[in-house]
Amino acid sequence: MSTEMEVDEPQRLPVTVTKPIPLTYDLGHLTAFDSNPLPPLTPSNLEQTLHSTARDAAQLLINQILTTVPLKSTQDGVYATLPEPITTLPREKPVPKAKELTTWEKFAKKKGIAAKAKDGKMVYDEATGEWVPKWGYKGSNKGGEDDWAVEVDESKQQDVNANPRSLSRAERVERVRKNERQQRKNEKNSAAASSSGSGYKNRRR
Amino acid sequence: MLQTVKPKNARSKRALEAREPKLVENEKTTLFLRGTSASGVVQDALGDLHSLKKPQAIKFQKKNAVHPFEDATALEFFSRKNDASLMVFASHSKKRPHNLTFVRFFEYQVLDMVELGLDGETFRKMQDFKNAKAGVGLKPMITFSGAIFENNPTYVQMKLMFLDFFHGNTVSEVDVEALQYTISISAADPTDEEPNPKIHLRCYMLKTVRSGHKLPRVELEEMGPRMDFKIGRIQEASPDMMKEAMKKPKGQEMRTKKNISVDSMGDKIGKVHVDRQDLGKLQTRKMKGLRKRGREESEKEGEGDDDVEMDDDDVEMGDGVPAISPKRARV
Repeated sequence: MSTEMEVDEPQRLPVTVTKPIPLTYDLGHLTAFDSNPLPPLTPSNLEQTLHSTARDAAQLLINQILTTVPLKSTQDGVYATLPEPITTLPREKPVPKAKELTTWEKFAKKKGIAAKAKDGKMVYDEATGEWVPKWGYKGSNKGGEDDWAVEVDESKQQDVNANPRSLSRAERVERVRKNERQQRKNEKNSAAASSSGSGYKNRRR
Repeated sequence: MLQTVKPKNARSKRALEAREPKLVENEKTTLFLRGTSASGVVQDALGDLHSLKKPQAIKFQKKNAVHPFEDATALEFFSRKNDASLMVFASHSKKRPHNLTFVRFFEYQVLDMVELGLDGETFRKMQDFKNAKAGVGLKPMITFSGAIFENNPTYVQMKLMFLDFFHGNTVSEVDVEALQYTISISAADPTDEEPNPKIHLRCYMLKTVRSGHKLPRVELEEMGPRMDFKIGRIQEASPDMMKEAMKKPKGQEMRTKKNISVDSMGDKIGKVHVDRQDLGKLQTRKMKGLRKRGREESEKEGEGDDDVEMDDDDVEMGDGVPAISPKRARV
């Protein structure tokens, strides 16, 4: 459709092509299938024949596009809205699998626990009347770590020599470590599930 | 097998994510490479196919000591490394002159392979045709001509392979101005002398001429390359792998509207279901003697006559919908 050639004399060129077997189209792929047998090909008429068959098929395909497909004219030009392709072609990669649920997500699903709404990083500190981050620098989860006096909790004090001042911090660090362990375990489980899942590879081995 | 690495920065993370399986897939990348020996003809052909497939194409310059049908692990490695799922391998030998091997991959593993012997005599490269070429990266129109593409399973497979190779990206809209060229793939019917006819691949530029009709007259001008293929060895896809590759993601299907269909001519057909007509309510011819008389009506009997005439007319029109005059409704 690159050039619109001007024709001075009002001549009427044929735009329709009749074929014994009508062509089938897959407009999603801009494709036409012409199942009419080609005329007998000889070395002398080969190019001529191929050219004329190709022209007829191209004409029919253009006709089909311009008549059956909704056209939308915008400032940039006329756009044809193509339907979904009919011919299915193999994918490049498998259909992505749903992400494996973590242990907690499985448990929550079983118990019907809805995920908490995310309400941001900052929380309001009633005592000081300020907004402070939940974690990180000056985070609210570090409350009591740098108090000038620390109450000794006999139940937590397993080792007599342990410094009661660092116990609160040690507890927090241990929570972080535990979370990382759980994360690793979940990743390992999901990797195992995805490798054992799809069929054709296992059967090949 | 490449090591699976955890991305160390955001850029490499994005790059890895771009390679992950997607619900709606990107256009397949094609890799063009040559074997240790490749004739000039087949190298030109490779270059021309590369320029048709640009920009979703990569071309290797070096020689590769690979025999795809003997051991394709090297090709699988290239596929993974370049995230390419289509490949054209050019080679030339005495036994198989001017050979192009078309390989398709699924999940970086060979899905199927077809060996096509290029006819060195009839091959014409793009540069031999001195005319304007189609713009880079435009979606081509593809036409398949010949009954053999419907009947012969090998040629049906070739049809699907060529369609997969050339169709480019699946788009929902196309600029009519961008329909610049057509790839015509045709094959004659098999005869006794030639049970496996050659596949003729031709590329033409499209020229539209005002025809005096609403539709334009299409004229073609060959732009090259001109290739005639003889089918060689074929490695078919394993059914399991093909099944996996043909899977469609759930939830992606178009929701079909009930009772609306499109026939082969592209006409939209709607089916309308109508309830069974209630014949009890059908308005039949009214006569004065059969009229039910309400109390109101009998009071102003004298005026009624004109209205009855009009009711008669309504029934005669008979659209299946009984016309109800205000007077009738009151009864």
